[in-house]
Amino acid sequence: MRSRLASYAIRRFFLYLLIFFISLTVFFFFLNLVPGDPVTRYVQELEARYGLTTPISEEIIREYKEAFGLDKDLFGRYTSYLKRLIFEFDFGPSFVAFPTPVSELIIDALPWSIGLLGVSIIISWVLGILFGTILGWRRESKVASFSLVLGLILSQIPPYLLALVLVMVFSFALGIFPMGGAYSPLIEQGFNLRYIIDLIYHAFLPAMSLILVYTFGTMISQRALVINILGEDYIKLAEAKGLENNRIIKRYILRNTLLPQTTGLALSLGFIVNGFFLIEWIFNYPGIGRLFMTAIRQMDYNVLMGITVITMFGVLAANFIIELLYPLIDPRIRR
Amino acid sequence: MRIFKDSPKFTVGIIIILLLIIIALLEPKVNVYRLNGHSSTEIGLYETSLPPSRDHPFGTDPYGRDVLSLILTGLKYSLLVGFTAGSLATIVAVVLATLAGYKGGSIDAFITTVSNAILVIPSWPIVAIIVLFVDKVNLLYLSLILAFFSWAGSSRQMKPQIASLKERPYVELAKVTGFSDLEIMFKEILPNFLPYIFVGFSYAVTGTMMAETALRLVGLGPADIPSLGQVLNWALYSGALAQGHYFLTLVPIVVLVLVFVSMNLINVGLDEVYNPRLKKITGV
Repeated sequence: MRSRLASYAIRRFFLYLLIFFISLTVFFFFLNLVPGDPVTRYVQELEARYGLTTPISEEIIREYKEAFGLDKDLFGRYTSYLKRLIFEFDFGPSFVAFPTPVSELIIDALPWSIGLLGVSIIISWVLGILFGTILGWRRESKVASFSLVLGLILSQIPPYLLALVLVMVFSFALGIFPMGGAYSPLIEQGFNLRYIIDLIYHAFLPAMSLILVYTFGTMISQRALVINILGEDYIKLAEAKGLENNRIIKRYILRNTLLPQTTGLALSLGFIVNGFFLIEWIFNYPGIGRLFMTAIRQMDYNVLMGITVITMFGVLAANFIIELLYPLIDPRIRR
Repeated sequence: MRIFKDSPKFTVGIIIILLLIIIALLEPKVNVYRLNGHSSTEIGLYETSLPPSRDHPFGTDPYGRDVLSLILTGLKYSLLVGFTAGSLATIVAVVLATLAGYKGGSIDAFITTVSNAILVIPSWPIVAIIVLFVDKVNLLYLSLILAFFSWAGSSRQMKPQIASLKERPYVELAKVTGFSDLEIMFKEILPNFLPYIFVGFSYAVTGTMMAETALRLVGLGPADIPSLGQVLNWALYSGALAQGHYFLTLVPIVVLVLVFVSMNLINVGLDEVYNPRLKKITGV
C-alpha cells in the first residue's frame, strides 16, 4: 500500500521533471536560434532609443558577450546554462541592473506573486465550489438561473481586462483604492497591524480581478458536476433511505466533485498565471509579472529567461503537489 | 435546425457572434463613409479628446482619432487574428485528437503527454518573448505562434468525444465492411464529430484572442495590425484611465467580452444538445 503510493509519487515526479527539462530545452534552443544575440540586440535597442551617434565599441560588446557566456557555441551555452541553473541557481546577471544576478531580482519578487496568486486562487476555488454546489442543488430557483447567466458572462472576462475596469472605476474615478503598488511608501514595514491592513488594502483590487473571474468559472463547472451526480442512482438511494440533505451534499456530492475540481485547478494554473503577469503590470505590483514586463521593455534577456524558467518550474511543481493529493481525495487512486 | 429551438443559449451566442462578424465585415465601408477616406488610425484627424457627439458617438481619443472607427477597425483585426489562429489550432487539434482517440495505445499516450505539457506550462510569457525577439511579426507568424500554444486546449475538449465515437456501431460496421483507418476517420467519424470540432474551434478562437489582446495591450506584436488590444494599449498610454475616457477603454473591453461570452454560449449550447448524458439528467 505504502510502497504503491511511493512508486506513484516517484513516477509522477519523473514525468514532471521530464516535462520541465523538455520545455526548458525547447525554449532555450528556440530563443538562441533567433538571429542576433541578446547583447547586440540590446545595444541596437539602446542606440535606436537614445539616438546614439557614436557606435558602442566592439570591445565592450565582446567583453559583455563573454560575461554573459555568449562567446561559446550553442551547445556549450546550453550546458553551461543548465550547469549554472542546477548547481548554483544562477540565471546570469541582469543587463539593465548589471551586475545584479537575475536570481536575486526573482527572489525579491517571488513572495509577492506567490502570496497574491495563492490567496486569490484558494479563495476563488473554495467560493466557486460552494456557490456551484448550491446552484446545482437548487437549480430550479430563480436566483440560481440568474447566477448562472451572471456566471456565464463573468467567467469569460479575461482577468486583466477586468483589472483595467476595476482600476479605472475604483482607483481613478472613485479614489477608494490605491492605483498600484503593494504598500504605502512611508509605512513602517514589519509584523504590525497597520502594515498588514495596508498590504490587504493594496492587494484588494488585483486579487478581486482574479477572484471574480475564477469564482464564477469554478461555480459553473461545479454546477455541471453536481447536476451530473444528482442523476446517479446512489443519490436516489440516499434520498430514499431518508438521509438528511446536509449529509447527502457533504458525503455524496462534494466528495465526488473534489477530484475533478482538483484536476481542473491543476490544469488551469498555467492559464491563471498567464493573466496574472498582466494584472501585476496593471497594478504595478512588485512581483515577477511586473519584473517580466519591465524586462520586456528593456529587452533584458537573462531576466526574461529566468522568469520563464521559474514560472514553468513553479507551475509544474504546484501540479505535482496537487497530484500527490489525489490519493487522499479519492481512495480509488490508491489501488 | 433543431438546435436553435433546443438551446436558447446557442441561439443567443450565434446571433451575437454573427452580428459582430457582420459589423467587422462592414468596417471598411463604414469607415470610408465616416472618415472621408482617411484611415481610422490616422493621427490628428479631429480635435483631441472630444466628448461624444453626433459626429463622434464615442468621442475622439487623445491623438485626435474617432473612437468608434478605431473600435470597428480593432474588432475586424481582433476577429481576423482570432479566427486565423483558431482555425490553424483547430486543424492541428482535430488531426491529433483523431489520431490519439482512434489509435489509442502509445500514440495516444504520447500526444496526451505533449498536449498536457503545453496546457500546464504558462505559455503567455513564452509567446511574449518569442514575439519580442522575432523580427517583423506579421499576421501569419503571430497566428502560427498563438496556434502552437492553443491547439492543446482545443484538443482536450475533443478527445474524449472522439474516443467514444469510435465505439459506436456504425464504425464497427465500416470496419467489417473493410474501410481503411483513414476512410473511417474522415468518412465516418469526422462528420459526426462536427459539433465537437466547433467546440474545439471556439475554445481556440477565444484562447488565441485573449493571448493576442494581452500581447497588444502591453505593446508587443505587429504595430500595423491595430486590433482591440492595440486600441487599449493606446488608451492606456495616452492616460485614458486617469482622464476617465470611458468610451475609449470600456467599449473595446465590452466588445471583446461579447465575443468571448458568445463563443462560450455556443459551446454550452452545443454541449447541452449533443451531450446525451447531460441532456438526460437536466432535461434542458
